[in-house]
Amino acid sequence: MTANGTGNDLAGPLAGLRVLELTGETAQFCGKLMADLGADVIKVEPPGGQETRNIGPFMNDQTHPERSLHFWHYNTSKRGVTLDITTPGGQDVFRKLAATAGLILESYPAGYLPGLGLGYEALSASNPGLIMCSVTPFGQDGPWRDFQTSDLLHLAAGGQMASSGYDPEDVPDAPPIAPGGGNAWHIASHYAYISIMAALYHLDFTGEGQYIDVSVHESCSLTTEGAIAIYLSTGDVVRRHTGRHASPDESPKIQHATNDGGWINTTRSGSNLTTDRIKVLAEWMDTYGLAQDLLDEKYQDPAVVAQSDQHFAAVLRNFFANMPLVEAYEGGQELNFPWGAVRTMGEIMGDPHLDDRDFFVPVEHPELGKEFTYPGPAAIYNGSPWRIYRRAPLIGEHNEEILGGELGLSKTDLEMLKRSGVI
Amino acid sequence: MQTDRDLNSKRRKDRPLQGVRVVDFTWVRAGPWAARWLATLGAEVIKVEWPENLDMLRLNRFTVPPGVEPGPNSTGQFADTNAGKLGITVNVRHPKGLEAIKSLISVSDVVIENFSSRIMQRWGLGYEELRRLRPDVVYVSMAGFGQTGRQHYFGTMGPAAQALSGLTHLSGLPGKPPAGWGWSYLDDTGGMYGAMCALTALRHRNQTGQGQHVDLSQMITGITLTGTSFLDKSVNNRESRREGYPPGNRTVWPGAPVVHNYRGPIAAPHNAYRTLNGGYNDWCVIACLSDEEWANLVDHMGSPAWAKDARFASLSGRLEHQDEMDQGIEEWTSTLGKYDLAEKCQAAGVRAMPVQSSEDRVENDPQLRSRGMFTKVEHAKLGQWKFQSAPFRLDGSPVPVKGPPPMIGEHTANIMIDLLGTEPDDLLKGFNEGVFWPESSEPFDYVQKTLDQPLGQPLDSEATA
Repeated sequence: MTANGTGNDLAGPLAGLRVLELTGETAQFCGKLMADLGADVIKVEPPGGQETRNIGPFMNDQTHPERSLHFWHYNTSKRGVTLDITTPGGQDVFRKLAATAGLILESYPAGYLPGLGLGYEALSASNPGLIMCSVTPFGQDGPWRDFQTSDLLHLAAGGQMASSGYDPEDVPDAPPIAPGGGNAWHIASHYAYISIMAALYHLDFTGEGQYIDVSVHESCSLTTEGAIAIYLSTGDVVRRHTGRHASPDESPKIQHATNDGGWINTTRSGSNLTTDRIKVLAEWMDTYGLAQDLLDEKYQDPAVVAQSDQHFAAVLRNFFANMPLVEAYEGGQELNFPWGAVRTMGEIMGDPHLDDRDFFVPVEHPELGKEFTYPGPAAIYNGSPWRIYRRAPLIGEHNEEILGGELGLSKTDLEMLKRSGVI
Repeated sequence: MQTDRDLNSKRRKDRPLQGVRVVDFTWVRAGPWAARWLATLGAEVIKVEWPENLDMLRLNRFTVPPGVEPGPNSTGQFADTNAGKLGITVNVRHPKGLEAIKSLISVSDVVIENFSSRIMQRWGLGYEELRRLRPDVVYVSMAGFGQTGRQHYFGTMGPAAQALSGLTHLSGLPGKPPAGWGWSYLDDTGGMYGAMCALTALRHRNQTGQGQHVDLSQMITGITLTGTSFLDKSVNNRESRREGYPPGNRTVWPGAPVVHNYRGPIAAPHNAYRTLNGGYNDWCVIACLSDEEWANLVDHMGSPAWAKDARFASLSGRLEHQDEMDQGIEEWTSTLGKYDLAEKCQAAGVRAMPVQSSEDRVENDPQLRSRGMFTKVEHAKLGQWKFQSAPFRLDGSPVPVKGPPPMIGEHTANIMIDLLGTEPDDLLKGFNEGVFWPESSEPFDYVQKTLDQPLGQPLDSEATA
């Protein structure tokens, strides 16, 4: 068995769960998390494909709905059907499909599916174990319910931007910065996943499904660590700092330049520096002749250490300015300092530790005759492996397999649906 | 007679994880945040601590309210991160303490910890031993680099994990140091993954009867959140260290080569703008994702002459001339309050939201207020304290805020006697011998009180909560 368990036939932990996914950017990541863990996730797209197929980057920069790397990443292991659920014919097929599902994951505007006669009440009437999870910008009610959003807008309202940015000496008058990568959707998908697993646990003991209302805004607002607790405790609002925690104080800098153009992050340098640890650090720095005064006896007094945060940061800054990144980072780690190199994808790609964990997953794209490397899992499930079962579905790729083979629609039915533009 | 239906309707009032017991060895943020969600969902979470090696969040000096006596039970940050748990103090390095912990594990469903890798093994509590104690145990370990792989012993805290995962590099302005994330994003998110792993393995156990060890890595969690950058490298061989990247709040940086990265070149305007008064958090973001939304914005601004200029008519023109466009927009936004601006923009078909500080979210956000994001619960040291609610509503098994965090060692006597059947005399002996409290100090008053009163009072976790 390989480290992430892909070399054996064990089923994933969510095997046996059928999911209908009607969502784009908002919650497609939640669907991926479930699909790679063994759920049978069927992506229901409008005929012609979903709008997330137009999000870059694209393979070889070809703007094409089957070349979006964004779509590829977020839709691994899923199967795909096309269905126009705004038509009576499409709704009929969708009801049949929903009767076979354990979970419907959707992100239409509040009230949209019930308006089509496809709300939870209607779909669960004959399928009482059904769970439906709606992930929307603000939830199903409240004064902001119908506001239009985006990743940037959520990171503003959720508090991420108020905590991220620059010290004035690095960038004078800097705006709050929204971290990249679409993380408002990740955060919402994580909480959606948690709520779905809770509902499944409830189902396992009661046989009862339920409706779940997830708010992206509340999920983001929950995800700024200490900012809320600091405000509630003292009334202080945190200030933004370069590459470290926003805080009410002028905390010592922890992100330092190395002599090869890199950056190292030392966590908060004062927080783990006891008298013993200073000695360890200083002796190592001294082998480079860069310990400055850190070997001085006075740093064996905890009271002096407690007041020397800024000084330690300055000595470290000078040390790193004379060191290459990897030597600094790995040298520190070997001495048990939890430091991190600021890495880019190129540097991550060759990491042998990740290779040991079989993190780099080859995924076949048979229609292209090619294989590409995808990121693996955050966690190794030793008893029920994570795996990428297949690349993202092509538009309507599994229409026949699912609607015909599994749902039992005849060839004629399928042909009629195709001609009328329903699939 | 009670029918199945009655049973079900009674059951429906319960939290979904009612009946699940979790032994929680976690500390600081990521681990405790994971177990916090298991507690909120209804599990009985028993936090195991030792007063000589305090959870760092019990010491967080920024979150002791003025007028509250500082101490391990007085920090707001610990309170919210550990809401709804029970707490015991046990010295696992003492043979009798280890024995007590083993007997607790034998009646528990989940063991969760976020120590450096293999600490649990060193204590004699590796997965093989856990499984011997409880054959279907779900064991979630949350080490920085995981338990497997040549650098498993490397340590991380949130910021270092973010740096190593590629997340830090995705945030900032071109030509400047990485801005990174202004908090331990991977402690929050690592915590969510800890909960996700436990819940997923519990579901698998329900279906198969099998437990397992889930080996989560905080640092690798971050890499999985940079998937499109990862594929841009592995498919297109394009590095993220390049001119004009990352592009701040914009989709692309003006003047830099236009590249189809995650955000762009899809939208302009797409930025943060100063609002009335120009205070530290007086900012609002505006994003026009189509020409139509841009036209709506121009109308809404009152069609100023500059905005009608042909240079701004198309997306490519707006991307090329972002600096002038943003300047024009900011002249307008500077005259309006951020909430007023966002609400009026939304009404006019323009995507806009205020940049909200912590204070804004607690005091000024009408949506969070309407949805009940903060719930006051009595806390022994902090008084009526606001706790953060779940960002989801389960209509069949609701999960309101469960209760305050445990004071350190608050439930040791109850758990040992009621749950594990320890003889009262043995418990007192353990307190004197450094098993349940350090020999170097007297137990806190509330702990002593549990020993002074008749032992064996039943423990009701919801009532305690």
